[in-house]
Amino acid sequence: MLPATWSRLSCRALSTRGQRTLSLFSSSGPSNWTKVVSDAEKIVGYPTSFMSLRCLLSDELSNVAMHVRKLVGTQHPLLSTARGFVYDNRNNLQMRGVIVLLMSKAAGPSHAASDLLAQDMVSGIYPSQRNLAEITELIHTAFLVHRGIVNLKEWTVSDGPLKDMEFGNKMAVLSGDFLLANACTGLAQLNNTKVVELISSAIGDLVQGIYNENSNNTEENGLTDGVDVATWEEQTFLSHGALLAKSCQAAMELAKHDKESQRVAYKYGKHLSLGHKLNSDLQPFVKSSVGEPVSFSLGTAPVVFHRQIVGQERWRQQLQQAKTMRNQLDYSKLLAAVKSEKGVSSAVDLCCYHGNKALEAIQAFPSSEARSALENIASAITKF
Amino acid sequence: MCWIIHKSRLLYPTLHSCCCKTIHSDAKLKDPFTLAQKDLTSLYDDIKKELFVSKEELKSLNRAGAIAMISEMIHTASLVHDDVIDGSDKRRGKRTINEVWGERKAILAGDFILSAASMALARIGNNTVVKVLSQVIEDLVRGEFMQLGSKENENERFKHYLEKTFKKTASLIANSCKAVSILVNSDPEVHEIAYQYGKNVGIAFQLVDDVLDFTSGASQLGKPTAADLKLGLATGPVLFACQQFPELHAMIMRRFSSNGDVDRAWQYVLQSDGVQQTNYLAQRYGQEAIRQISMLRPSPERDALIRLTEMVLTRDK
Repeated sequence: MLPATWSRLSCRALSTRGQRTLSLFSSSGPSNWTKVVSDAEKIVGYPTSFMSLRCLLSDELSNVAMHVRKLVGTQHPLLSTARGFVYDNRNNLQMRGVIVLLMSKAAGPSHAASDLLAQDMVSGIYPSQRNLAEITELIHTAFLVHRGIVNLKEWTVSDGPLKDMEFGNKMAVLSGDFLLANACTGLAQLNNTKVVELISSAIGDLVQGIYNENSNNTEENGLTDGVDVATWEEQTFLSHGALLAKSCQAAMELAKHDKESQRVAYKYGKHLSLGHKLNSDLQPFVKSSVGEPVSFSLGTAPVVFHRQIVGQERWRQQLQQAKTMRNQLDYSKLLAAVKSEKGVSSAVDLCCYHGNKALEAIQAFPSSEARSALENIASAITKF
Repeated sequence: MCWIIHKSRLLYPTLHSCCCKTIHSDAKLKDPFTLAQKDLTSLYDDIKKELFVSKEELKSLNRAGAIAMISEMIHTASLVHDDVIDGSDKRRGKRTINEVWGERKAILAGDFILSAASMALARIGNNTVVKVLSQVIEDLVRGEFMQLGSKENENERFKHYLEKTFKKTASLIANSCKAVSILVNSDPEVHEIAYQYGKNVGIAFQLVDDVLDFTSGASQLGKPTAADLKLGLATGPVLFACQQFPELHAMIMRRFSSNGDVDRAWQYVLQSDGVQQTNYLAQRYGQEAIRQISMLRPSPERDALIRLTEMVLTRDK
């Protein structure tokens, strides 16, 4: 049945923008993904931006935008995060919002709740579910910003003036807090304390996940005992999956769908996020870009698999061998070492496993355009 | 926080005139902290439990107690972030989180406390209460943003200062008072009294704080004096002083960033009656708080809240 829905989607897309449809079937990695998500956006009836206009146009954020200009030329991460909002990159796809809306539409109208009216639905989605999608994006963006806080004690001359770093931190804290605060008031307006609790717990999960991320990704950590694959999955769920899983579940709760629908939605969000993270972790290892400088974090899935396969001793040797004269890591050397073993293929297998689990979960909903889009997204993350 | 429990004989309309007698008669003095001690002793343990176990057993915590806990958590989260924003290395005489653990972890810690507070808030199960306290979180951030800018016009500047003070300090107290009143009472008039009491006490508290920044020694407040000036902030005493010494205007606009600005501004403030005027303003907010709370029927708790207002006004650290 998969090919059938695929061709259905491609037909529909063909009518709107013909030349891009082909990429659905080519395995071109991220661009394929971009296409699948942007096609899905059309189904839910809204163009890209879920970030509430109220928030983007507020005095506070215009203030930040003005101040951020002062950071141009410095190394503060807030600059690249802010740039990401303007230029189209993977972070700007707002795929979490799209998925929450698709999930809402795929689950359909509520049968249980009397206070929810079908005529309030726009493109088959309740207003509260749209607000939830927006809140999900707000929280995600808030943490993109808070991830870019710099430890001032680790400041070096090459970062630019310390004063600029302090200022960048100030702006990053404030704008992240502003987005989070708007998420909080938005959540309160949903009038459902179960949803408030669920999404608040997702914020807690995110914090814990990012905390682990910070301590695992450092280079020094490459020498100590790293995490095993099971721990990697747990931590990645916290940092990359919990928000989407819980938002999908919350979308079901808002339409008063039963526990089973909520479980299915959660499962889809969880497995899709894990698959998506595996896919992006694998990019440097599957891309055949010759000559381009490679760089990857030592906490990415293929490395975690590799370390578990070759053992701590061999890994330490390989790290030593990849050290240059200046005691820096030669990533292309390390990449070759990882590629020579089963780490990459194991990570690909795990990625497919999660993609399939997501596909499987979504079968619980009746066949529809929205469900097909969710299927396409789940399939896209297993393509390299 | 139990002054609103009795629904029937709640409003006590004739008290406006005699509230002062209550305050000054020693026999009736209730120390607010003694009165609430039983509830407060377990508060910090409750917060710790919330952060680390967060399980069913905590549902037994009474709901007003939960609000008290949540406001403390929201307050703490905002302090942790403020210390990063201001680059402070000391808070109440102790090293700040960013000083000990670095800015990244400090921000995450603040976010984590906020998420735990928000979960506890949701578990109370009352949508209105969730809205009232979420407003606080938004006010805190907006207040912090207001602190970034200075206004050219003097009248606007004062309005800006009071609004910032409400958002950064008083909103939390006002809305927490409102939230507990909503939980135990259905009368909107009582909610408004609770809100107004909290708002006025909160603003009075901050005005006194701003005065102490000029008058208190470093040892007492646990942070170096004139800390606000050093951060580039013009608080009440400076704004009043500016009416007498227009030279301050330029310094306010450049946020005391030129060499010697902080010392010069400090001198101007001490020569002016900025401190007295700010104190006077604080007294007026305090009186309004007392007037508001006196509309509730008499109870040891109500008298304690009146006494608390007095303590806020007379504290020297």
